[in-house]
Amino acid sequence: MDSLYVAWRYVTWNRGKTLVLIASITLVAFLPLALQTLLNESERQLRTRALDTPLLLGAAGSALDLVMSSLYFDDEVPARIDMRAPAVIDESGLAYPLPLYVRFMARGAPIVGTTLDYFDFRGLQLAQGRLFGLLGEAVIGAEVSMRLGIGVGDSLVSSPDNLFDIAGVYPLKMTVAGVLADSHSPDDRAVFVDVKTAWVIEGLGHGHQDLARTADSSVILRQDAGTVTANARLVQYTEITPENIDSFHFHGSAADYPLTALLVVPDDDKAAARLRGRFIDDSRYQLVRPNTVIDGLMESIFRIKQVIDAVIVIVAIATLLTIVLVFALSLRIRREELETIFRIGCSRMTTVRLLAAEILIIVTVSAVLCAGLLWLIHINSAALVQGLILR
Amino acid sequence: MSVECHGRLFRISVIQWIVWGLLLCGCMSAVAADRLVVYSVNYPLAYFAERIGGGHVEVHFPAPAAVDPAFWMPDADTVAGYQGADLILLNGAGYAKWIERVSLPRRKLVDTSRGLAGSYITVTEGVTHQHGPDGDHAHAGTAFTTWLDFNQAAQQAGEIAAALSRQRPERAAAFNENLQRLQEELLQLDSRMQALAAAQPGLPLLASHPVYQYMARRYGLQLRSVTWEPEVQPDDSSWRELQSMLVRQASHWMLWEGNPRMETRKGLERLGVQTVLFRPAMNRPATGDFMTVMRANIEALTVAFDAPD
Repeated sequence: MDSLYVAWRYVTWNRGKTLVLIASITLVAFLPLALQTLLNESERQLRTRALDTPLLLGAAGSALDLVMSSLYFDDEVPARIDMRAPAVIDESGLAYPLPLYVRFMARGAPIVGTTLDYFDFRGLQLAQGRLFGLLGEAVIGAEVSMRLGIGVGDSLVSSPDNLFDIAGVYPLKMTVAGVLADSHSPDDRAVFVDVKTAWVIEGLGHGHQDLARTADSSVILRQDAGTVTANARLVQYTEITPENIDSFHFHGSAADYPLTALLVVPDDDKAAARLRGRFIDDSRYQLVRPNTVIDGLMESIFRIKQVIDAVIVIVAIATLLTIVLVFALSLRIRREELETIFRIGCSRMTTVRLLAAEILIIVTVSAVLCAGLLWLIHINSAALVQGLILR
Repeated sequence: MSVECHGRLFRISVIQWIVWGLLLCGCMSAVAADRLVVYSVNYPLAYFAERIGGGHVEVHFPAPAAVDPAFWMPDADTVAGYQGADLILLNGAGYAKWIERVSLPRRKLVDTSRGLAGSYITVTEGVTHQHGPDGDHAHAGTAFTTWLDFNQAAQQAGEIAAALSRQRPERAAAFNENLQRLQEELLQLDSRMQALAAAQPGLPLLASHPVYQYMARRYGLQLRSVTWEPEVQPDDSSWRELQSMLVRQASHWMLWEGNPRMETRKGLERLGVQTVLFRPAMNRPATGDFMTVMRANIEALTVAFDAPD
């Protein structure tokens, strides 16, 4: 007990040295354990989302881009498919499709164009308001609501597609109809709209004054018997309101409207296998199992982690050698002090006990600190993974 | 028997009635919970669903009586009603443009004319006009009164029965039985129309509104349309347009969606044109149902075909 007291007095007197030693040991222990915790959590989240999504249909190309865009709303936009794809799935009679159009952003949050069936499929619950009902309405994730400080009845403007394209699509002011409850998934940081609203943002649908009845002839470029052609002066509505919603319409064939992916929900495993068989040699589409794609991604991540682990082992060895050196030098500096302890009648074992007590105190404090930090990481791992890794 | 014994029997009887009442309420609420909630975009489909589903479905057609459901725009609460339905019956063929402006769950949508898509009639001319409390509209695009071809109506009813059966497979037999009865009645209407048209093939007819395209195609009617509204007095240019049509080909009968104004009727009579009320029944009729309206339509048309040319 006396040895611990004397050792405690020594480490508190030499604060600088003690703090450096505690910080070194804490970091060496904490880093690999924290990395492992975060990787485990990211793997859990990636796999859960992937396992919850039976099949994904997209344009032929990178399967990883398709999965990352459709499941985690990654910035990378995969090649597009069109509205003929849902009809292909419907006609198979083996599954039902959920359209996804993930291309635009609103104040840093991805805009996910989909249908109401998506909320049922993901089991998402509303914290406030209702699901989108009219064109131009949005439902926002819990994190978006918290980060931007907006709720039901507030507005959200879509970001321009390209800052340098002055003739590009107009930003659309969307009304928040509902806020989702926290789901600890990428849905928390997304803005959900009807896929038709996403097409309005794209410019495929729009609303404007009635050209057949306008008194402003300056907006008319040409007028034939049955056709009125407007010029660029015609102002399109940038917000959909009950007053102008009737003027919104879509141009072109609905079959040509774009999607980035289809979430395909087969009736059963047999239907999934039959459906996959149909798309094996398809040159336009790829039908992937997100779980398989994520397996490949995790293999790559774990290969990288093995390299990081090796680096950490080397750093740990270097740190331990440094600590041994610090203690060895410390013994040399403290030679006179230890000699005095011996001369006043203490045994050599007392000196050893004193040094052991000092090491015990430093290691114990480091262990407590490390455990505290790991606990913080553990309880915030879902949010940290969302914010740092799967963003 | 003592008074006390009577009292005891009375109490037991009251308790029995309460128990029976509770059981009955329980059964009724269980039946109500089992009923499919079906929303429709027009009256003919709502009628078909009611006939096929019987007591197993709860059919809603929320368009107000005064509006044309094809050009109506429901409010957010009504859209929420559609969103909460088990099935949403669409007519297809571009009917009810409001569907483009709202969010409906894709899995619940039933396009009843899906099988007819290859034979839709494309309408090239489209005069913008207005009737009822709704905004202006034009009929350019696809002709959408598919059910006025009663053979097509029978196919649409078949789609509804199939959708109901998918939702409630245990009731499929009852749905199919009801469907057969409905289809028989629709095909009887079809036969009557065919027989009627065969009486005077090529009889030139006029229509006050371009809504009879499928009927004309199915029954071989020689039908030309103007774009007049029953409640609106045609202007001079409309009369001139009609006169030039009559010059090109004489016609003595004009089909109307609703009773025209007296002035319109008299103006037509001066041109030798009689009016025939042939209601498409897009909205729920004030009296009767789809079948009674269609039978009355055929009766009215019989006058034209029975008259000497």
